[in-house]
Amino acid sequence: MHKLLHSNFGRFVFFIFLGFIIFLAGNRVDELRVYQGATLAMFVVAISSIILLTGYSGQVSLGHGALLAIGGYSAVLARNYWTLPIWVCFAIAVLVAAAAGAVLGTAAARLSGPYLAGTTLALAVGLPSIANQFSFLGGEQGLLFDVGAPPISLGADFSPYKWYFWIAASAALIALWWLQNIVRSRYGRTWRAVRGNEIAAQLAGIHSGKAKTLAFTVSSGVAGLAGALLAMTIGTVSPSAFPLTLSFSLLTGAVLSGVTTLPGVMIGAVTLVATPEISHAISNRLGNSEAVTTNLPGLLVSALLILVVMLVPNGPVEQMRSMRVRKNASISR
Amino acid sequence: MFTFIDTVIIGLTSGAVYSLMAISLVLVWRSTRVINFAQAGQALLSTYIGYSFIGLFDSYWIALFFAIVLGAGVSALIEILFMRTLFKRNTGPIAGVAPIIATLGLLGLIHGLIGIFMGGKEAIIRPPVSNVGYTISGHTLALSPLKLVIVSAVLFLMISLSFIFTKTNIGLALRASAYSPEIARLAGVKVDAIRTLGWALAGAAGAAAGMLQTPNGTGALSPDSLEFSLLLVLGFIAAVIGGLESLVGAVIGGLLLGLVLAFVIMYVSATLPFMTAFLLLLGVLLVRPQGIMGRKVGRRA
Amino acid sequence: MIGTYRRKLLVASAVLATGSLALTAIPAQAFSVRNEIGVTSTSIKLGITLPMTGAASPGYNKIPGAMKAYFDYVNASGGVNGRKISLVVKDDAYTPTASVQATNELILKDKVFAVVGALGTANNKAVAALVNPGRRGIPDLFVNTGFSGFAVKKSYPTTFSLFPSYVMEAKILSMYIKDKFPGKKLALLYQADDFGRDALAGFKTGGLTFDTYIPYAPLSQATPTVPPTWISKLQAAGSEVVVLFGVSSATAAALGAAYAKSYRPQWILGSVGGDATAIKLAGVPAPLFTGVQTASFLPAPADATDEYVKLFQTINTKYNPGVTFDNNILAGMNTAFVTVQAIAAAGKNLTRKALIAAIETKGSTFASAGLTPMAPTATSHAGYNGYWFGTYDGTATLKPNDGVYTVYTTDSGAGAVVKSTYKRPAMPANGLPTN
Repeated sequence: MHKLLHSNFGRFVFFIFLGFIIFLAGNRVDELRVYQGATLAMFVVAISSIILLTGYSGQVSLGHGALLAIGGYSAVLARNYWTLPIWVCFAIAVLVAAAAGAVLGTAAARLSGPYLAGTTLALAVGLPSIANQFSFLGGEQGLLFDVGAPPISLGADFSPYKWYFWIAASAALIALWWLQNIVRSRYGRTWRAVRGNEIAAQLAGIHSGKAKTLAFTVSSGVAGLAGALLAMTIGTVSPSAFPLTLSFSLLTGAVLSGVTTLPGVMIGAVTLVATPEISHAISNRLGNSEAVTTNLPGLLVSALLILVVMLVPNGPVEQMRSMRVRKNASISR
Repeated sequence: MFTFIDTVIIGLTSGAVYSLMAISLVLVWRSTRVINFAQAGQALLSTYIGYSFIGLFDSYWIALFFAIVLGAGVSALIEILFMRTLFKRNTGPIAGVAPIIATLGLLGLIHGLIGIFMGGKEAIIRPPVSNVGYTISGHTLALSPLKLVIVSAVLFLMISLSFIFTKTNIGLALRASAYSPEIARLAGVKVDAIRTLGWALAGAAGAAAGMLQTPNGTGALSPDSLEFSLLLVLGFIAAVIGGLESLVGAVIGGLLLGLVLAFVIMYVSATLPFMTAFLLLLGVLLVRPQGIMGRKVGRRA
Repeated sequence: MIGTYRRKLLVASAVLATGSLALTAIPAQAFSVRNEIGVTSTSIKLGITLPMTGAASPGYNKIPGAMKAYFDYVNASGGVNGRKISLVVKDDAYTPTASVQATNELILKDKVFAVVGALGTANNKAVAALVNPGRRGIPDLFVNTGFSGFAVKKSYPTTFSLFPSYVMEAKILSMYIKDKFPGKKLALLYQADDFGRDALAGFKTGGLTFDTYIPYAPLSQATPTVPPTWISKLQAAGSEVVVLFGVSSATAAALGAAYAKSYRPQWILGSVGGDATAIKLAGVPAPLFTGVQTASFLPAPADATDEYVKLFQTINTKYNPGVTFDNNILAGMNTAFVTVQAIAAAGKNLTRKALIAAIETKGSTFASAGLTPMAPTATSHAGYNGYWFGTYDGTATLKPNDGVYTVYTTDSGAGAVVKSTYKRPAMPANGLPTN
């Protein structure tokens, strides 16, 4: 299995297989779960863009929500003004966000850790308010995003949620497959070299600024796709859909997934989608104190976050891998 | 003419508040290389502590003292309980994000707990000295005794902390353990204790920021108070503009941010203050990637 | 080759899916003949989404408690046609993403009969676009926003407004200001988003121009730089009457900053940011309120001579202990009251269709605490359509100007502002609507 994953063709087959499983699962659960599946796929894409940036190239962005916003708005504008096919809108979202990321990344490459964090944070706070300045961006109520009804060939009873889920799941699979390939390519190796030791990488002839900018651009493009998916799963875009808390929860998801391991991305996404529901169930059992019910979800996520960072800082997947490595080492001795 | 003077005063006095927050962020950054997002929560918690002491002693100044002392205590405790373990366990690329995530988690934790215990309860802190501006030839200035207290607090903190950092052994130890913990340890510096001290000082500065800004704003205190989150964001922007390493830089960054915001709102438009802050930050960093007072980082071993 | 294979697969699974859907659909249909979703012979389940946490929550997070208190009161008296009402509350922290997710849960998991009082314009728009209660025939009652669009039945078939729109408010304010403050220097301080811009459009229709306009970014009132700068700007322009269209934290910030600069214009607050308790909670001491004017469509929350206010205060003490009675509680209870009234009007055989039809046909005669008539018809789902003006005294108690509620009504279009002759019908016995 692992050997198979190391060839491009193997990965392709693996992702097709994964897609098939997801497709089957989508037909077996009720509508609410299907909808949550679409949200899940959106989070998978968004979190992998963070993992790529932070885990593989060592840059920290606190404002990925802003890039999601850029992607979301571009997709919606393309759809509403030119009525382009939905997949073209998604492609535009990727390209526009990537272009924005390239500009930001050029600035970012000059900045070390906390300075970049500050810049991206300021962007996430400042950008959404722009929508209120230009009427074509729809103001606070935002713009409607209609991806269209599912094709008739799928049957009249095919629910829109299932259609969103299909779109989001395929987008996520394609994005993940592509990211898996890119991190194993020459670029991926360059990024990891820069992340590991920037000076050493420069001595080895790597242009670290270019490598960082490229990583930021790719990550932004993926974030743009996530933004378009987010817009699809809520049917609109509006400034309040991209609050600072979104950027923070994506970062949370990335850490829960293990920031250096793309395959763990599912863990973070599932946690983000499931937490409100779980905490609701718990708080219902605890009684009906309003103060507890409303504050419990935030409290749970925060506690979980601290526990993960303290106990399994590199994420569950990496933790298991290193435990296995240690175990093997002790056996061979 | 008065409008111009007012704008300058508003810029400087509100900038002083950003400076206070920036100072507390810089202190943590200098001592442990962490951006402490929990500072917003810590400041809120300290202000709630101060609020309950006002109820107890009926004196703002006694309450301010306790808020600062206990705020420092809470901050030290956080460093001992969470940050130490974090640093020992975290290596690799996660080390760049883990502290940020941990402090975000702490922020959520503090917010949630305050929400459970203080949610829906009315809490208001009245100004200890008048907040009505001084009057000159019939015109009330934007400068009030309360604003003077805030500005003096910032100057006092900046000067005394700079003194500690540059002229005392503790300051030397603080700097040494931040730049190179290993060598500092070999030289006999109690690195752990010194780092905790850095956090405690930051907690004190944050508590002062919360206790001073609350009556300077509307006076209301609520677990969902937006003022503290915005204070953190703007304080962080100020700290980054100033260069993160320098207390003087934090103060300059805060004042600059306050002035630019005030002038843009007064003479251009009140609709884009947050975008203005971003553009100011970007502009400064494009010219000086290490901030105004930051030193260019040399070779990292 | 692969293409046809995959297509076959798709078709096969689609057939499978359709089959399973049909199977699950049959029992549900069989049930719905006797019982609508969310309704049994002894219970009715309702849901609400609104910000319970986060920056937008203060004040609004008191609404569900108030609604539940009134429902508890009704339940203690035997419920509506023997059915007891429960309310499922979901926090959306004011983000549309969470509103959509929460509404989906309400409909698909909690299986509520109707959504009541969902808050926020962007939030309700996202819910309408995606969850689409209109297509599913799910009543989306009395949304908590002043966006006039939700009253348009063609766009939102099952959505009902309750509050007058921001446009109506601005039109009535225009008439009032032209009448009471002729020749004064006017200024408008407003939130630079749709909330403020709706009002701007209303002032234009109302034919009122201000000498100074200060649009401000939402949330920026919480930074120390912003409110003092507004005041300096207003002073520099010599504004004598300042209209404020913002949320209550902006009102508090503006009143506080004006006090610090010894600036005393005639403040006129929009209804959203005009609630004294919310402003006091935001830190402004009562004496600063003296002479501040605002508009409302419900009776003043401190007016104990009003039979509704009196009853609601009693209910609040008993079923919502420890919570101060204010405009949010009053509005929440009134929303619950109108909901009970609508459910009662829908009759014993309670279905979603019957509920919607009942509001459309009998809505204009519904009992409620509102001092203006409600205007739902078969084509428009508008709620209240008017305002009265009042002034705060030194104890932050709102009193109607000249001691009587003088109500003006209008519409969200180009219609004129008229003095209303509406007389609110007497409250049903014990505050329990029966028809």
